Amino acid sequence: MKRKLAAIAAAAIFAVSAGSANAARDYVSVVGSSTVYPFATVVAEQFGKTTKFKTPKIESTGSGGGMKLFCSGIGIQHPDMTNSSRRIKKSEFDQCQANGVQDVVEVKIGYDGIVLANSKKTAPFQLTRKDIFLALAKDVPDPSGAEKLIPNPYKTWHDVNPSLPDTKIEVLGPPPTSGTRDAFVELAMEGGGKNFPWIKAMKKVDKKRYKAICHTVREDGAYIEAGENDNLIVQKLEANPNAVGIFGFSFLDQNSDFIQGSFIDGVEPTFEEIADGKYPVSRPLYFYVKKSHVDIIPGMEGFLEEFSSEKAWGEEGYLTDRGLIPMPDAERKQMHDDVKQLRPLEM
Amino acid sequence: MMEQTEEIRGEKSETRDWEVVSREDRRTVGIPFVDNPRMTCRNIDVYYGDEQAIQDVSVDIGNNEVLSMIGPSGCGKSTFLRCLNRMNDTIDICRITGEICLDGMDIYGGEIDVVPLRAQIGMVFQKPNPFPKSIYDNVAYGPKIHGLAANKTDLDEIVETSLKKAGLWKEIKDRMDQPGTGLSGGQQQRLCIARAIAVSPEVILMDEPCSALDPIATAHVEDLISELRKQYSIVIVTHSMQQAARVSQRTAYFHLGDLIEVGETERVFTNPRHQLTEDYITGRFG
Amino acid sequence: MNNKTPDSSRQLIQKKLARRYRTEKWFRRLGAMAVLISIAFLGILLVTIVGKGSSAFQQTFVKLDIHFDAEVLDVKNLSRANYPGLVKSNLRSLFPEVKGRRDKKKLYNLVSNGAAFQLQDMVMGDTSIIGRTKSVWVPASDDVDLFFKGKISRDVVESNRRIKDIQLKWIDRLQTENRIEKRLNTTFFTAGDSRDPELAGIRGALSGTILTLIVTLALSFPIGVATAVYLEEFAPKNKWTDIIEVNINNLAAVPSIVFGLLGLAVYINFFGLPRSVPLVGGLVLTLMTLPTIIISGRAALKAVPPSIREAALGIGASRMQMVMHHVLPLAMPGMLTGTIIGMAQALGETAPLLTIGMVAFIVDIPGSFIDPATVMPVQIYLWADSPERAFVEKTSAAIMILLLFLISMNAVAVFLRKKFEKSW
Repeated sequence: MKRKLAAIAAAAIFAVSAGSANAARDYVSVVGSSTVYPFATVVAEQFGKTTKFKTPKIESTGSGGGMKLFCSGIGIQHPDMTNSSRRIKKSEFDQCQANGVQDVVEVKIGYDGIVLANSKKTAPFQLTRKDIFLALAKDVPDPSGAEKLIPNPYKTWHDVNPSLPDTKIEVLGPPPTSGTRDAFVELAMEGGGKNFPWIKAMKKVDKKRYKAICHTVREDGAYIEAGENDNLIVQKLEANPNAVGIFGFSFLDQNSDFIQGSFIDGVEPTFEEIADGKYPVSRPLYFYVKKSHVDIIPGMEGFLEEFSSEKAWGEEGYLTDRGLIPMPDAERKQMHDDVKQLRPLEM
Repeated sequence: MMEQTEEIRGEKSETRDWEVVSREDRRTVGIPFVDNPRMTCRNIDVYYGDEQAIQDVSVDIGNNEVLSMIGPSGCGKSTFLRCLNRMNDTIDICRITGEICLDGMDIYGGEIDVVPLRAQIGMVFQKPNPFPKSIYDNVAYGPKIHGLAANKTDLDEIVETSLKKAGLWKEIKDRMDQPGTGLSGGQQQRLCIARAIAVSPEVILMDEPCSALDPIATAHVEDLISELRKQYSIVIVTHSMQQAARVSQRTAYFHLGDLIEVGETERVFTNPRHQLTEDYITGRFG
Repeated sequence: MNNKTPDSSRQLIQKKLARRYRTEKWFRRLGAMAVLISIAFLGILLVTIVGKGSSAFQQTFVKLDIHFDAEVLDVKNLSRANYPGLVKSNLRSLFPEVKGRRDKKKLYNLVSNGAAFQLQDMVMGDTSIIGRTKSVWVPASDDVDLFFKGKISRDVVESNRRIKDIQLKWIDRLQTENRIEKRLNTTFFTAGDSRDPELAGIRGALSGTILTLIVTLALSFPIGVATAVYLEEFAPKNKWTDIIEVNINNLAAVPSIVFGLLGLAVYINFFGLPRSVPLVGGLVLTLMTLPTIIISGRAALKAVPPSIREAALGIGASRMQMVMHHVLPLAMPGMLTGTIIGMAQALGETAPLLTIGMVAFIVDIPGSFIDPATVMPVQIYLWADSPERAFVEKTSAAIMILLLFLISMNAVAVFLRKKFEKSW
């Protein structure tokens, strides 16, 4: 008897779901980067609470995972938008095209600074990108000046640069699966590696080797992979004043009473400096939209309008309160128009 | 070891004199067959996998008699008993050859359904095993699943008569809704007997029904067996020769899978014809 | 043969006796120590969680005397009215001396974004308040809340403090006017997720968890019990059933993410079920819990004494009747225990839900099996990963709710077990 009831219940669930799976979806489905997630969710919530539409669903899948889902096809079972903390790759774009996702609209929403921070109990670091490269790369140029690589010999910051304090190199950062890590090696480490002319010259001759040198982080314990959770890194910095952490600017912004950002190339990671483009380690954040979904999914047009409105991503918008660094006025206007016209991306 | 057919042995056992048969001879002596039998067993071999547990046993079970089966541990008496209502079917590796008939019908025959058969040939087990239900439900369960009662009054009546027959009615008639497992060991065993007779069997098989009971409870059950004989045929396996002597009319002695001797209980105990039987009842082994 | 005299035997026994007792004593001490250590860890865990999380059940509110201005609130277009404006103008009237955009912004930041939504709900619910003035308690912003709970210190240098000196002055004045106080945080139990910590609630995740677990239970329990009964009672013992048994045992040890990937491939990509819904979550968790239920179910069936089976068969019950009437009821308590262990595992899973899209920001409270939803462990994970500091206490509070949920689930299981296990 009990079994019969359960069987009926199961059958009912299937029937209901099969029926509704074919019906239209009445909310916007967004996937993608965990870096953009805190911003996209604020917009979604604002949109859901001020309009008659349902609140868009935002999944935190990571940039790469989001792209894969986004490009898997057209139709309501596939997401409408994906967030990304980097630009779409050519291979991903081709994948999209191959799966019938023809018109993809690219929208830049602003910038995110990546900071190196330490506890306020000690003095702030004054780093250059070259220091960062030398302190964290797996293989570094021979200090004697010869044009060859040796395994990273530096134990303390003082070894790297005599003006730095004599404390052990101990950097807590995200694992390779993280978009923050990708951006960090590209902007900070590669930027440092370029200071060596022979390495820079290699870029044209042997791009693979160049990337391997600049993007490979040392594995001898000086760089500690602390997981994707930035809050965890912040807590560890509080406990260990000698350690340096790598994370997004919004975490520095929220925890400014405990930690301070290191100066990089003489620029402090502040809201203004990142917005001006003076702070070197910052990256653009994007989202990508399926043009063909805009007319089908209720609320999608409104959500895009909300996202690209001045009250959201503007200088005084609510996204800046959350740590998003806004684009310059002209770029914002340009982007707003692109969103309005849904200008498809070409690659 | 026993190539002869049962007829020959039967004749031989008849012609044997009072001289005791030697230990090495494992043919059945005594009177395995009766006139007008309820059940007949012919040339029964039982195997557990490759191992033979019962060798060529032939015996009859008469009407309204108690046949007791005795013998040392592991002699196959319980195995043989369980063949009689096909309880051994539940053991995958168990294989039976030969013929067992109930009222002339082969119970291992292809057309026989084991479910109604077990209602015809009831069984009482060594350890009292009432269901974890009320006393009433214990007795009513059999009639319910076989559809023996047309309505509730009918069922009540079957339960009452069964319990009366089992001599338990007086003790428990006021607490029919209490758990059967809450009764004393002897009462539980009598409840199990009531459960077996509630489905109106023809034969009741009892596998050492008193081994877990104290002497007083044993006496109760033994009285009950004597009473039940008037209506049913009963086969009882027992370790107690005194019990066999007290309750049964005929006794069968098993030894290592062979049926050694069958006969009137009194004669088997006072004047065994086989050396092994004599060894056993005089306590030389077992 | 033993050629020792009784005396020498006794001496030998005595000699060994001390050693035997010593070993026993050590073993008992080790056991007690292990228990003490686990209790200590559990204690630390609970103390930290309760210590961090208990403050989340209170929330700072600010009293505003809102004038529901008929000019602002156009009855024909209530959903588009400028509710934030109402809040802002009231704050300005409370502190008329505040001038300049930056200071005004700091002033507006005292109360939550949720204040405007609250006013909107009030007006939409009862249009008769338009034109009147009413005292309304609105939630304070997360920073004010943290300050009020003592988690932001006055003594820190202003530049390092999220509450600035000028805001401190306003808060002090609100306090002297009895316009700010801590109250029970009902929002936490009634709201879905939010990016504003003061507006975030656990109800969405709780509903999602319940819906997901209903699907899991409704599928895994009958299927698991039926499978266990078939394999244990009816299936022939041969090579094939051996292979099936080995596979079921292996499945119980497969990392849960694998089931998530399987669910993505089968339910979403092949059957085309929607992403992020409790139905698919339940289906995936069913795959994960089934082996646990089957294994424990078989163990419970094996534990039913053979005498009961013989009793039933001996009276002429068919195999099915034997199983259904006698064996299954006796095995049920054990099966329930297995089921509850399986469900508790399912309750704590996040990994398999990632691939099917249940790690998501979902504000609307799911009401059916096909509404997008998330579950409590995912909610905990998402809050723990949020930059806003006020989410720390929400995270711990959510863990408390999860533990409470787990305990009540176990209590139900114990109750059911007791009921089935009638004392006979």
